[in-house]
Amino acid sequence: MAKTHDIVIPTKDKLFNLDPLLSLTPGNIITWIILGVGFILTIIRFTVGIGSVTNLDDYQPWGLWIGFDLLCGVCLAAGGYFTTVGVYVMGMKQFHSAVRPAVTTAFLGYAFVVVALLYDLGHPLRLPYMFFFPGTTSVLFEVGLCVATYLTVLFVEFSIAPMEWLSQKFPWILRIRKWVIRITILLTIFGVTLSTLHQSSLGSLYLIAPEKLHPLWYSPFMPMFFFVSSMAAGASMVIFEGLFAHKGVHQYMDSTHLKEADGVVLGFSRAASFILFAYFMLKVIDVLVQANTHWLDTGYGAWWMLEMFGFVLLPALLYAIGARTGNVTLCRYTSVLTVAGIVLNRFNVSMIAYNWNLPSDLRYFPSFWEIWISIFVVTMIVTVYRFIVYHMPVLYEHPDFKGEEH
Amino acid sequence: MRKGKSLLSLAAMVAAAVVCLLYQGAARADTLEPTDSGAPSAIVIFPVGEKPNPAAAGMAPVAYNHVIHEKWMNRTGKECMVCHHTGDPVACTECHTVEGKAEGKFYTLQQVMHTPKVRQRKENTPSSCVSCHKEQTKQRDCAGCHTQLVQTRDDDPNWCRVCHTITPSMTRAQMQKGIANTLSARQNEVLATETALARKPVSYWSPLMAPYKVSIDSLKGQYEAALFNHRHHAFSLADRISTNRLAGAFHTSQGTMCVTCHHNSPASTTPPKCLNCHSADLKRMSPGRPALMAAFHLQCMNCHKDMKVGRPRSTDCATCHKIAPTAARTTQGE
Amino acid sequence: MNRRKFLAFLGSSGVVSALASVRVAEAAPHVFPYNENSFGVLHDTTRCIGCRRCEAACQAVNNLPMPEKPFTDLEVTNERRRVTAKAWTVVNKYEVNGQPFFRKLQCFHCNDPACAAACFTKCYTKLPDGAVVYDGSQCVGCRYCMVACPFNVPGFQYNLAWDPLVLKCTFCEPLLKQGKLPACVSACPVDAITFGRRSDLIRVARRRFDDHPGKYMNYIYGEHDAGGTAWMVLAPAAGANPGPVDNPDTASKEFKQLGLDTHLGNQPMAELTYGALGAVPMIVAFWPVLFGGAYAITKRREAIAKASVEEAAKSAKDDITAAMDAAIRKIEETEGQAAADRARRAMTEALKARESQDRQGEAHNG
Repeated sequence: MAKTHDIVIPTKDKLFNLDPLLSLTPGNIITWIILGVGFILTIIRFTVGIGSVTNLDDYQPWGLWIGFDLLCGVCLAAGGYFTTVGVYVMGMKQFHSAVRPAVTTAFLGYAFVVVALLYDLGHPLRLPYMFFFPGTTSVLFEVGLCVATYLTVLFVEFSIAPMEWLSQKFPWILRIRKWVIRITILLTIFGVTLSTLHQSSLGSLYLIAPEKLHPLWYSPFMPMFFFVSSMAAGASMVIFEGLFAHKGVHQYMDSTHLKEADGVVLGFSRAASFILFAYFMLKVIDVLVQANTHWLDTGYGAWWMLEMFGFVLLPALLYAIGARTGNVTLCRYTSVLTVAGIVLNRFNVSMIAYNWNLPSDLRYFPSFWEIWISIFVVTMIVTVYRFIVYHMPVLYEHPDFKGEEH
Repeated sequence: MRKGKSLLSLAAMVAAAVVCLLYQGAARADTLEPTDSGAPSAIVIFPVGEKPNPAAAGMAPVAYNHVIHEKWMNRTGKECMVCHHTGDPVACTECHTVEGKAEGKFYTLQQVMHTPKVRQRKENTPSSCVSCHKEQTKQRDCAGCHTQLVQTRDDDPNWCRVCHTITPSMTRAQMQKGIANTLSARQNEVLATETALARKPVSYWSPLMAPYKVSIDSLKGQYEAALFNHRHHAFSLADRISTNRLAGAFHTSQGTMCVTCHHNSPASTTPPKCLNCHSADLKRMSPGRPALMAAFHLQCMNCHKDMKVGRPRSTDCATCHKIAPTAARTTQGE
Repeated sequence: MNRRKFLAFLGSSGVVSALASVRVAEAAPHVFPYNENSFGVLHDTTRCIGCRRCEAACQAVNNLPMPEKPFTDLEVTNERRRVTAKAWTVVNKYEVNGQPFFRKLQCFHCNDPACAAACFTKCYTKLPDGAVVYDGSQCVGCRYCMVACPFNVPGFQYNLAWDPLVLKCTFCEPLLKQGKLPACVSACPVDAITFGRRSDLIRVARRRFDDHPGKYMNYIYGEHDAGGTAWMVLAPAAGANPGPVDNPDTASKEFKQLGLDTHLGNQPMAELTYGALGAVPMIVAFWPVLFGGAYAITKRREAIAKASVEEAAKSAKDDITAAMDAAIRKIEETEGQAAADRARRAMTEALKARESQDRQGEAHNG
């Protein structure tokens, strides 16, 4: 039990460890300001209407909340399936310590995708209607069904951590935990299937609107692009999140986590490098196959090339260099670039290259409060993540369950 | 006496001159003016064909009034190339026969005369009779009727006869020679001239036979009745084309000027009411037939537009029919 | 998990995905069958005078809010307006080859509507009479129909907090049911919008082309576009230069000038997504097999690795025992029984100590 530093592990008597969340650090103050204003905006949104806080209009029914909170949220939560498949299915045990943080962020990502969705829906309470009146011809139905199911799967996968946290107070939980651990591989395979489906169908959503999306981004292969880029996003997000976790919640990491961290970064960088390169080739081939090269010398073409070279090919090369030379720092900063590239791509599809034919005065730009709500959602994720990390064995192994193979 | 003799001779000379003049005038009435180019003033275009035709069967030939067309060309600055498209002023039938032949790229006589629209060519694009005459209907004085009127050959026995008509004095032997392209030029011109001179423009029914003003009141409601000055419109139309020889040649019925508006029924001085066919309320199942209001508006507005009558604008409703006082209140209340 | 459970799981997931594929196969081709007696409207833009009476009639019949500028203000047609939740039809002015023409915008009532295919709670229905109608009682407000609509028709009530709905032209379905005509059609003073059976309207349009050569573009917009629409548009050929029709930049530019997209293709928009949707059962069926197989391979590889390590350890142990025996025999031969016994004890102890040290090391590493 050689610990490098002391981790505050909640016990039966002291179940909560809220001090780091409530102390008056600059970070906490900003957090609570964002959350406070967000709460007021929430009240306005739900009492005055969507139009009161957003710039959405009839030409742009899906704006920042879908483009960022849903598309990016789901994509960046891909770390969950990516890591679990690597560790449990492919047997890469050396990355085992990355599983719980990845599953936790994935679960939070999806949960808050649903939360953000409630802001965007005109009738949020009717969300379950899709199960009662299933429109099976709709891509959105597939997305909804898969996200709902996958969120359940992630909840079950994630539930081990809160169960370990609460097990001292409520020992009967241990029986459930045993069952959940037994079906880990089932959940993993189920999870990757569902992820493949809905990650790709987020791209399929736009297949129905070829006249609105710029030809450089519209492609019959959009589902594939979204899926492949989600893998790169999954790998990058594990690294990206590690970058911030090491800054913020370093003291909650145990020796195993710290020891494996560099290996995780390098391993995931290597994978991300391959995937990004494949993605780059797919996109280039797509442009050639669809004879869209004549668009490249337009303004949108320059923007497309910036996305492809600056945010796909460049990170692919940097990842490769970083993984080859063992430069963990380079890999970490490349992950920031990759995540930015994924966000850029989703923004392009959902906002920037969408409605490209419209005159500029009819185009959409998110309102200040709309952006605030998106930041509010991200802040909620971070806050809940911190709560979880402060209480549950995510970055460390709980001493009661150390050495268990699962 | 000498004086009387000279007077007598003077009188005789005057008389002779008058007789001469009269004779000249009579002779002139029997021929057409000569053409500037020296070509025959009129020619008969026979359905020239190479196959033996002992019965002289074929479409009635067309007497082509060369001089009228030439004058019009001179007036409008057109060139002989419009018809003599090769630049060589030969007869059409030299290259274009009923069967078509290599010299005319196998374009048949029927085709080259009737093609409604000749496709643009790189060099000189020729005109057919029909394409050129159609083009003339687009001029402002004609467009009002001719863009609305659907001209169709269907069921009209007189359609072809407007052009395909020849003097009854033509013999079968002449026709046979004409088909074989062996009729002498002199005989050809005589036949053509005779036919051309026999052609007389029709006199239209006088607008005075129709009501002076028509009150269109079957749709009164939001607007009061429209008072349509029928006589003014009819006179105006007739006046515009009174000197147009093309109209004179092709408007072959007394009722020609009536049938654009009073369409789809035989020309008559007592035409059926519009309401007979165009019901006041819209019907679901007759999409080709506008209801009464639309029928009126389409005719009035389209004609005004095509004849470039500036007033009234299509959306100035109250120019033609005043807003009814009751309706005015309700529209304000809306 | 043992092998039997694993196989049972694979089997059941296969059955489930097979069932799923049956359902999707039923749904995949067309959402709504084409009804040859359905109604439609032919919009002849050469006739429209931009009087906005259709707009006024639509507002009155559907109890829509009055616009800021009255319907008598015809200048608003110069703006590039679109239909919204408050105005289900608008008339805009467009320059076609330099001449002004008006076009009425409203729902096109597609034969196989993209909005209906995109709706995930089945709010839209294509009725046999041709109307595409929306029932807001089960609308979630996701607005995917607005993304899907190739004509930018559905409008959303962004400023309602309670019960915001997507609203659009209904083809005056309540009036159609009573045997009446849509309000805008009844109000049109120039028959610019002609109501009739869709099949009749196509004939009417072709007759107009024949009767008035040079007046119209020889194309009925909506006959096939986006899979065919109930509302169809005729464009003027005013002053048109009959350019080469095989040049996509000049062909049918009149429709483009009227603000109509001629690049929608002839298939229903939703068919673009059916390929992706059709892959769903394939992935549901195949992914568990693929990843289950990968898992099995991983497990097998681990087992083989473990077995070979054990075997190596065992053979190493055997080798040591043999060497030890040989050494002891030698000692016995040269130095006698007692010395041999001592040596045996010492060697056994040394071996044990090393083994326990190894085990500790392993436990530490594991």
